[in-house]
Amino acid sequence: MNKTWIVTLETYLRQVKSWSFLTLVLMPFLFVGLSFGISYVATPSSSKDKTAVVSSDPQLRNTFLKQSDLTTTKRYAAKAQAQKATDRGDINGYLTLGVKKNRLTATFTGPTELNSGDQAKIQRFLTATQSALNVQQAKLSPQQTQALAVQPQFKQRLQHKTASDKLAKQISFYIVVFFVYLILTTYSAITAQEIAAEKGTKIMEVIFSSTTPRKYFNGKIYGVLLVILTQLLVYLVGGIAVVAFAQRSRLTADFWQQNQTVISQILHNLLSVNMLFALLAVLLYTVISAFCGALVTRVEDAGKASQPAIYLNLITFAVALAFQSNPTNVLVKVLSYVPFFSSYLMPLRLINSTATGVEAGISLLILLVTIVAIMLYLGRIYGGLMLQTDELGFWKNLKRGLSLK
Amino acid sequence: MLSVVHISKTFGQVKALDDVSFDVHDGEILGLIGQNGAGKSTTFHSILNFLSFDGQITWNGQPFTEADYDQIGYLPEERSLMPKLTITQQIVYLARLKNQPAKVTKPKIAGWMDRFAVKGQPTDQIKKLSKGNQQKVQLICTLIHDPQLIILDEPFSGLDPVNADLLKQAILAAKQRGATIIFSSHDMTNVEELCDSLVMLKNGRVVLKGTIDSVREQFGRTQLYLTTDWSKERLAALDGVKHVYHLGTHRYRLQLNDEAAGKTIFDAVSGGHYITEFSQQPPTLDAIFRTEAGGTDHE
Repeated sequence: MNKTWIVTLETYLRQVKSWSFLTLVLMPFLFVGLSFGISYVATPSSSKDKTAVVSSDPQLRNTFLKQSDLTTTKRYAAKAQAQKATDRGDINGYLTLGVKKNRLTATFTGPTELNSGDQAKIQRFLTATQSALNVQQAKLSPQQTQALAVQPQFKQRLQHKTASDKLAKQISFYIVVFFVYLILTTYSAITAQEIAAEKGTKIMEVIFSSTTPRKYFNGKIYGVLLVILTQLLVYLVGGIAVVAFAQRSRLTADFWQQNQTVISQILHNLLSVNMLFALLAVLLYTVISAFCGALVTRVEDAGKASQPAIYLNLITFAVALAFQSNPTNVLVKVLSYVPFFSSYLMPLRLINSTATGVEAGISLLILLVTIVAIMLYLGRIYGGLMLQTDELGFWKNLKRGLSLK
Repeated sequence: MLSVVHISKTFGQVKALDDVSFDVHDGEILGLIGQNGAGKSTTFHSILNFLSFDGQITWNGQPFTEADYDQIGYLPEERSLMPKLTITQQIVYLARLKNQPAKVTKPKIAGWMDRFAVKGQPTDQIKKLSKGNQQKVQLICTLIHDPQLIILDEPFSGLDPVNADLLKQAILAAKQRGATIIFSSHDMTNVEELCDSLVMLKNGRVVLKGTIDSVREQFGRTQLYLTTDWSKERLAALDGVKHVYHLGTHRYRLQLNDEAAGKTIFDAVSGGHYITEFSQQPPTLDAIFRTEAGGTDHE
């Protein structure tokens, strides 16, 4: 097996098997799960929110129960039972469905009026079922049926930004920026500490008598990248599951429906080229953090190793926040091509539609070339840095490390 | 065969190695001796290509390539392993980096642990082992892939006599199968017992080189071990005697100015009669080391 791959696998497995990784990955899900759980317990599903459905036509009743979006209960099939349950306050009322002379009728009986949303849900079902009934009664040919099925089209072409559009952009920006910031901070620390700890244990001499520093360095970087990709994959799969759950859950379904446009716009902003910027940012910071880790000489200093990378990330993060409402500023335009800054500022411009795909491509290309160049250079000096274990201070460590090879 | 040809290395103003040359043949053990800072580890690091240097180092007539890494077994001066791994994980990982698959390494681990009397289970974490046992695990990591070139930097430091013997046996077994072995040590007894030849470095320069016997003989047979009822003062008065050291009851070591004085002394002390001990020898390696390293007269 290729030695780079052996190092990659070893780094990857050691990280993903650690408790810190499991905690890091599972924490958001635990948080979401806990929030749902608490909300669920705090607002228990009560029969009072449900409506009973009664009908002399069992098929019609079943169809309604299956197809309607209204929150219903199957429990009370007879009118008398439903009335009693309403009187007891167990349900919010009952809906009596019937067909008279090919006309569908629905009557809600309850102490208070149904809200407009629930009324709309009932109306939607009635319209759809009535139209099916009408077609059936009219004994139309398939062509006529098809002709009748043609629906008008209504579109909005907005010339001014709407409130929801602005909101989606703002939320997208915050999610992207905070996500990138958190993941960079986390993995900068993990990488720098991993490298510094290895250097501190002096095992590098043994390893460099087995493989070249470049292969080892690349293996470490790829290993950490695989860990990050695993985390992203878990988030992606988990995110899809959470979205699917949120769309169905009684706690969030309505919110989801009301804000569908904003949510899909946010998801679009996240699962786009911005994700590529985030990934490349992580790769760049991983490489820089490995370099920082290689400059430390003692295991005890492993914690400090990541600080330069973390501060750099903090500065670029602060710049992104400062210019969030001014994506057309010339400084933002320039910095959106500069590696380190581009990971925050190009997504900011893309979210606000102030950058084109070509501009994003150029920025990505510059970022990629920078990463490859840094990796090539560090691969060359890595052996010297890792074998320089005398405690001489930052600059002298660097100078001595560079002079070894 | 390992050939080190005129290598030099400078760190800033310090000349760490100055025109160092030596050869180690297959199935031969070379001891690299010298005081701390003499250049032993720098020599090893140059062989392992950790450093850039002037000169040439070849393995079987060719400069070292990446493919040769798999034939090297290296034990660094500062012992180090990955504390969170188990013994098996650690050995398998380092052996895989030598291109020895896990399925080959795993069945060998128990045997090597027995051989070095490692106290612990293969599933024990490295950090839970005693320092001595960690050192033995590192030795296993160095040797388990049957390397052809074995480089051991101070392998005996920290080992008690029993464990040092286990290591000696392992080194001799590797020599038996034809490995080229080079190790550094401050303990001249180990060098004398194991090595076919030695190189002594001082301030980065080779000051002694050759087989153990030839190096000792360079200093002449100036050490005379003698058992007699003569007094120390009477022995000291003999011609050619530089110093007399009392070793025990009627037992002395005489340091001679010239080995030629031995015959006259023998005649004088024995008086033509049987004596139980009269042995004229070159100085021990330990004495030579002290002389060469410290610049003092060997005693």
